[in-house]
Amino acid sequence: MRSDDGDVEAGGVVGLVHQHFKLIERLRVWENVLLNREPRRGWAIDVAAARERVRALAARYGLAVDPDAVVETLPVGIKQRVELLRELDREPSVLLLDEPTAALAPGEIASFFTTIGELARNGTAVLVVTHKLAEVTAYSQRVTVMRAGRVVARHATAETNAADIARAMVGGEVPALADRTATATAPLLEARGLSARSATSALDDASFEVRAGEIVGIAGVEGNGQSALADAIAGIVPFSGELRFAGEQLRASESPAVRIARGIRVIPQDRRHEALVLDWNVRDNVALGRQRSLPRRAFADAARAVIERFDVRPPNADAIAGELSGGNQQKIVVGRALASAPKLIVAYQPTRGIDVGAAALVQSRLIEARNAGAGVLLISFELDEIFACADRVLVIANGRFAGSFARADVDRGRIGALMAGQA
Amino acid sequence: MSAVLRTRTVRDLLVVLVVVFGVGSIAMLLAHVSPIDGFAQLFDGAFGTPEEVGETLVQAAFLLFPALGIAVAFRAGLFNIGAEGQLVLGGFAAGWIGAQLPMPAYLAIPAVLIAGALAGGAWGAIPGFLKARFGANEVIATLMLNYVAVLLCTYLVTGPLQQGGSGASETAALPKAAQLPDLIGLLADPHPTLAYVLTPFVIAVALAFVLRWLLFRTVFGYELRAAGDAPEAAKRAGIDLGRTALLAMSISGAIAGLGGATIVAGELHRFNTGLSAGYGFIAIAVAIVGNLDPRWIIVASIAFGMLQSGGIAMQAEAHVPKEVIALVTGLVIIALAGRRVVATRRTT
Amino acid sequence: MNATLAVVLALLGLTLVKATPLIYAALGGVLSERSGVVNIGLEAILIAGAFTSVAVSGATGNPIAGTLAGIVAGMVVAAVLAFVTTRLAVDQIVAGTGLNIAALAAAAFGLVLLYHQPGASREVPALGKNGETTLIVLAFIAAGVLHYVLTRTPWGLRVRACGEDPSAAESAGIDALTTRFWAVVAGGAVASLGGVYLALAELDLYSDGMTAGRGFIALAAVIFGRWTPFGATGAALCFGFFAALQFSLQRAGVPSELLQALPYLAALIALAGFAGRVRAPAADGVPYIRA
Repeated sequence: MRSDDGDVEAGGVVGLVHQHFKLIERLRVWENVLLNREPRRGWAIDVAAARERVRALAARYGLAVDPDAVVETLPVGIKQRVELLRELDREPSVLLLDEPTAALAPGEIASFFTTIGELARNGTAVLVVTHKLAEVTAYSQRVTVMRAGRVVARHATAETNAADIARAMVGGEVPALADRTATATAPLLEARGLSARSATSALDDASFEVRAGEIVGIAGVEGNGQSALADAIAGIVPFSGELRFAGEQLRASESPAVRIARGIRVIPQDRRHEALVLDWNVRDNVALGRQRSLPRRAFADAARAVIERFDVRPPNADAIAGELSGGNQQKIVVGRALASAPKLIVAYQPTRGIDVGAAALVQSRLIEARNAGAGVLLISFELDEIFACADRVLVIANGRFAGSFARADVDRGRIGALMAGQA
Repeated sequence: MSAVLRTRTVRDLLVVLVVVFGVGSIAMLLAHVSPIDGFAQLFDGAFGTPEEVGETLVQAAFLLFPALGIAVAFRAGLFNIGAEGQLVLGGFAAGWIGAQLPMPAYLAIPAVLIAGALAGGAWGAIPGFLKARFGANEVIATLMLNYVAVLLCTYLVTGPLQQGGSGASETAALPKAAQLPDLIGLLADPHPTLAYVLTPFVIAVALAFVLRWLLFRTVFGYELRAAGDAPEAAKRAGIDLGRTALLAMSISGAIAGLGGATIVAGELHRFNTGLSAGYGFIAIAVAIVGNLDPRWIIVASIAFGMLQSGGIAMQAEAHVPKEVIALVTGLVIIALAGRRVVATRRTT
Repeated sequence: MNATLAVVLALLGLTLVKATPLIYAALGGVLSERSGVVNIGLEAILIAGAFTSVAVSGATGNPIAGTLAGIVAGMVVAAVLAFVTTRLAVDQIVAGTGLNIAALAAAAFGLVLLYHQPGASREVPALGKNGETTLIVLAFIAAGVLHYVLTRTPWGLRVRACGEDPSAAESAGIDALTTRFWAVVAGGAVASLGGVYLALAELDLYSDGMTAGRGFIALAAVIFGRWTPFGATGAALCFGFFAALQFSLQRAGVPSELLQALPYLAALIALAGFAGRVRAPAADGVPYIRA
């Protein structure tokens, strides 16, 4: 452990389970769990002993895994078990978990916390970093709130509540979202039997509809086909089945440039690698996607417009994108997507990893776009975001659409069950 | 900034100086030559007389062309290590066409230069196509094509396309009309020896400014740089990565081929397989030292041109083997290679 | 019938001779790339191995000493690449290219210094027929050993982890930079034997440019062989076959330049035909920078 300043002490081994797993995809489960601590026989690794050790460990903690499976073939929930087992094998006295339930369906979360609770009862000190207040209040004994790198509050969980914690996180009231106005609803995007594959994601026989002037939320656990869906609409991967936009049949072989020309904008999931050129300045980044339709001398005005409407800080078009905070980077990405007044916006995790204020602003702009008649397909792993923004909620699980809920009929429990693949 | 760039700092300049003078001195001592002698001869050889300054600029020009081509490719995220082969092929095409077709000067010179550019462009298009269509590693492809280019030219010039009488491994002499003119001679300059050398250099400098405009003021340049700096983001912004790769490699090869053509039309006045003193490889150093910016590449080409021309004198007068120059060049490349800040396309 | 058999056997024999330096270089490349470092500098390692082995063999009169010196030289050159790409996180391809230019020039410089003539060294004590055969057999043994090391030993597992995801490897307590460093250096030791073979076994001297791009063909063999020791060996044999074909086809009147181009063209076609469908180690070519 390293600190820039001050001391860190721990009374034993510290285990760390990362939010984005530190697993080596092309190696097997046992290789990952026992990496750098492999049982040996002479020069070589004792593979049989390794497998046995993993099996015993899994049984002890009730986290069943196949030691020989190659990690990249495993679903996300099982991968997390492998990550956890890796840390548990080291018999940690302190276990740190970073956003551990980000990739779990609501049902799996309960069983996860059962395991964690057992560990705590047996003497392990467990620290969970999370922004899910429901879990904090349900499962923890003590809570510490941090903001901008400082500790701002410390309570016994029983003595506080979600609202107080939220206020401490934001340093004030949580900003409200834009109002929703009544809108016209002609069908904009219609999918029938849509199937697609991207590198790690598969969509299977999906049928759904997005109308102009509505936000359709796609609720689902990460890794259930959302990327394939977004990539198919963007034109990054081909699809089979039928996809109609504004009444016209979309051809699977169309390039992303054609989709953009039609008025479809996709806000990618990974702003650093899929949306921005980190080495370029804000002005050139705002033009990305419109470089052919926007004359060069208009770049500066376009950049200024986005900076103002989205409160990008610092408000300097010459700033280098890679040096901005995550929230400001995301504002640029969303801002430039909305700037061309697209007909359909696919927003894939539009508020991932950004502060509450920036998230509220982004969500408000999406709602305003909806009010102005655009159709929005909101793909998110955060149920709260979907419930706050969507007019209709669809559930995706294992590449298939599993349920449809109007805003007024949203049922957390039912949606959670569908997300976990239980009909 | 793409794979090879980082902001040039004073530290970089110091590192280059340490490498050049440090390693150079050690090598000179090994050759039983005093470093003071050796470096004195180097600088004297580069700038001593007007003829030598002219020679430095000639060498600079011959480096400038492939360096510009390499910079275009590198900015598109493509490692064109094949400038040597593209240059040789361009020189061959220029030499052969020039000797073949009797034409007046105002047709012959453009014909010769265009032939060189087309040949180099075609040679660059091959790895560009392989990359675009198959995702084939352009580093190895361009390297392989270097060897194939020399073999192909040797075969053609001694065989089916020979001009100089049986077995001669060079083309016939270019008629006067096809030779690059004395730019200064046109102005009736008192130093005729300086005359012919400036033409390649002037053409190269003009090309550098054209490329700067192309890269930074046009949509094509914008998309090319985006493809190099952030391929995933570029793809999602509607930029066709395959087409960009093909065009970038073709332009890169064409510029290098043009360089070969100027060597033939401006200096040698014929093609032979030894026309390049490794320009295509040294140009990699020039492009990197110039931070892939055409304006700085001009300066870097003069610096390396100085090493090239001074090196010849250094070998003749101070008896330091001129291989020292290439050694130092290679070490400069290692010393100034930048960090890969943005992950490039995942291909083989 | 016997005549055909003789021709075929001669061709196979020549294939082995031509393939052996490629096998050594490719195996060195496999080890390096599995740890995550693209080793464009294999050519430089071959040159270092070839030149140093000749120089030392000539100076000491002992070809075995020359061989050992060649291995050391290969390791030193590999260490330079390993250092700048791991500790300084410099671009691997650019650094490798610079190393190739420097090594070729250093060897040419050495030729002038030691032998007072550019172009080639004088003849030196070589490894002889027995030595040559030993090196050929050793190449195949090395492939087997490398396979075993990569798949069955703890160090091999660590190397593979660093090549797939150095950040994950570090979180398991592995020092990714040091592991990569030693993988590249060990790869250099293996690859240098290819240079030694060229200079002391197949011939008995060093000449400027004798490696003729074999280091790059070996890289194509690594890709074609899917980054596995046995695959790379097989691919190297294929390319060696094309080089061997030169001599047979020469008598059939095919122009010699086209024949000399065969290995390069074979590598090119292999890249085009098979490249797109194979997966490199995930972190191959990506410098690891500790946050």
